[in-house]
Amino acid sequence: MKVKSLSLLSLLLCLQLATGCSQEKSSSTATSGKSLTIGVSMLSMQNEFIVNVADEMQKKADAAGVELIVVDAERSPLKQVEQVESFIAQNVDAIILNPCEVEASSPAVQKALAAKIPIINVNSATSTKPTAFVGSDDVESGRMAMKYLAEKLGGKGNIVMMQGYMGQAAQLQREQAAKEVLRQYPGLKMLATQTAEWDRSKAMSLMENWIQSYGNQISAVFAHNDEMGMGAVKALTAAGLKDKVLVVSIDAIPDALQSVQKGELNATLFQNAEQQGAQAIETAMKAAGGKQFQSEVMIPFKLVTQANVKEFLK
Amino acid sequence: METQSIPPKTQPAPTLPSRVRRLSQYGIFLAFLIICVGLAVVAPRFLTVSNWVIIITQVSINALLAFGVTFVILTGGIDLSLGSMVAVAGVTAALFAHPDDYPLLVPLAAGLLTGIGFGAFNGFLITRSKVPPFIVTLGTMTIGRGLALILSKGRPVSNLSDSFNFIGGGAVLGIPVPILILAVAFAASWVLLRKTVLGRYMYAVGGNEAAARASGIDVGRVKLWVYTLCGGLAGLAGIVLTARITTGQPNAGVGFELDAIAAAIIGGTSTAGGSGTITGTLIGALLIGVISNGLDLLNVSSYYQQVVMGAIIIAAVVLDGGRELKVKS
Repeated sequence: MKVKSLSLLSLLLCLQLATGCSQEKSSSTATSGKSLTIGVSMLSMQNEFIVNVADEMQKKADAAGVELIVVDAERSPLKQVEQVESFIAQNVDAIILNPCEVEASSPAVQKALAAKIPIINVNSATSTKPTAFVGSDDVESGRMAMKYLAEKLGGKGNIVMMQGYMGQAAQLQREQAAKEVLRQYPGLKMLATQTAEWDRSKAMSLMENWIQSYGNQISAVFAHNDEMGMGAVKALTAAGLKDKVLVVSIDAIPDALQSVQKGELNATLFQNAEQQGAQAIETAMKAAGGKQFQSEVMIPFKLVTQANVKEFLK
Repeated sequence: METQSIPPKTQPAPTLPSRVRRLSQYGIFLAFLIICVGLAVVAPRFLTVSNWVIIITQVSINALLAFGVTFVILTGGIDLSLGSMVAVAGVTAALFAHPDDYPLLVPLAAGLLTGIGFGAFNGFLITRSKVPPFIVTLGTMTIGRGLALILSKGRPVSNLSDSFNFIGGGAVLGIPVPILILAVAFAASWVLLRKTVLGRYMYAVGGNEAAARASGIDVGRVKLWVYTLCGGLAGLAGIVLTARITTGQPNAGVGFELDAIAAAIIGGTSTAGGSGTITGTLIGALLIGVISNGLDLLNVSSYYQQVVMGAIIIAAVVLDGGRELKVKS
C-alpha cells in the first residue's frame, strides 16, 4: 500500500513539474513579444466605424503575430463585463475594451485591473481609469463641427441639431461642445434640438418635420453623426432647400464622403478608425510586454470638405 | 349559438358582435380627431396640406407592417421579426438596385420575394412545430438581423438606381409614391379581410381555433398564408424604406415590430385574436405618425416626447372605452 501511494505521489509531483515547466515556457515567450493573446470586446460589430477599428486591430495583430480574440458586446454593458470576466479566466495578456457605456462598462475595467491584466480603452471612455486610453476627443469633434458652421455662416443664422441616442457619451460631449461654441457667437441661434437616434430614416423624417415648422428660417444643420446628416441632406434636397442650408456631421463614412464630393453634405469630420485600432494594439502589446507606453493616445479629427475629400476617398 | 361552429358567411367577425366592433372603431377615430384638433390649435402648421403629405409618407412604412401584423394578430399570433424582415428585404433589394445592374423589376422582385420567403419560413416553423409564434419569431428576428449583416457585409449598400429611388422619393401626379403604395396595400388588405374566404377564416381561427378546426378549416394553411402575407408586406416596407433613404441599411427597422404592433392594437385589433379591422389599423398608424410629427413641430424635448407618446397611446385606448373588456365578455 505504502509503495503504491508513494509512487502515486511521485507521479503527481512529476505531472506538476511538467505542467509548471510548460507554464514557465509560455510565459517566457509572452514577454518576448511572440504569441501574446489579447482579448478584445467591441461595442457593436453592426456599426461600420467600430467594424473598421476592429478590422485594423486584426490586421495589426496578424502582422505582429499576436493572437486576437474579438467578441461583440452587442451594445450591452452587462455582456461586456461578462466577456471581460471570461478573458480574465482565460488569462489573456491584455484586454482592449471598446466601452458600451461610461458607468455600466466600468466594472469590466475594475475587474481587469484587479486581475493585474492591462486594459486599454479604445474610442470611448469609462468612469474607471483604464491602464491606457486610445481614441479621439468627442468634445473636439462637436467643437470643430460648430466652428465650421459658425464661420461659414459669418456668425449669423439659425441652427438645428440632431442628437444621437440620448445619454450616450458621444451625444453628451458633442452637444456640450456645440453649446460652448454657440456662446461665443451671439448671432447664432439654436432653433431646435431633437434625437434621431443615429438613424438615417428617422433623421429624414425629423428634418421633414422641421422644414414644415421652420421652413426658410433654418440656415444650418449639425447632425451628431453621418447617418443622420445623410438623412437631413435627403429631406433638404427633396424640399429644394439644400442650396440654402448647410449640413455638417461626424464620422466620414464612405456614403458621407461621396456626398461631400458631390457637394451635398458640406462637411464631415474624419475620425481615424485605422489609427485608433492600430494604436490600441500597439499600446496593448507594450503594456503586456512590460514596456513603456503612453497612458493617453489622442488621435485628432480632421475636417473633410469638398476641397480635401479626395484624400479620404478610397 | 353554441351548436354553431361554422362562421356565418355574412359576418366577418363571428366572435364579436359587429355593433361593438363598429363602435370601437368610432372610438379610436374620435380619439384621432381630438388629437388632430388639439395639435391644429397649438401648432398652426399642422393642418397644412404639405404637412399631411409628409405625415402620410412617413406613416406608410409603419402602416404596411401594421397591415401584415394585423392579419397575424387576428389569428391569435404575433410577429416579432418584422424589423429584421425590413432590413433583409431592403438590403436584398439594394444589392440588385445598383445603377444599371438590372431593370427595376429585379430589385423589386428580390425584395418582395425575400420578405415572402422569410414570412413563409416563419409560418412553416409555427405550423409544423408546436413552438409558440412569439418564440419562433423571436428567433427569426435575430436570424434575420444576422442575414442582413451578412448580405451587406455590415455596411450600408448605396449608389442605387434612380428608378429604384423613385419608389421612395418620387411622385405621380403630385402624390408621393409611398402614399400610392400605401393606398393600394390598404385597399388590397381591406378586400382580403372583408370579402374573401381567407379573410373570414382568419377571424375564425383567431376567434376559436378548435372550433375553426372542427368546422373543417385548414388552420395550418391559414396561418401559413397569414405569416407569408405579413412577410410580403414587410418586404414591401423594406423596399419603400430603402428607396426613401436611397440606401440599403442592415441596421434599418430596429424596433419597427413594436410600432407596427402598437398601430394594430391602438386601431382596435384584439391581442386575443379574432377581432380587428384594417381601417382601424390605418388609423392607429396615422395616430402614431401624427403624434410624432406634432411633437416635432412643437419642438418638445426628446426626453418628454417618449413620455407624451406613451401617455397619448394609453389615453387613446381608454377613450376607446375599455375595448379589451368588451371583447372578452
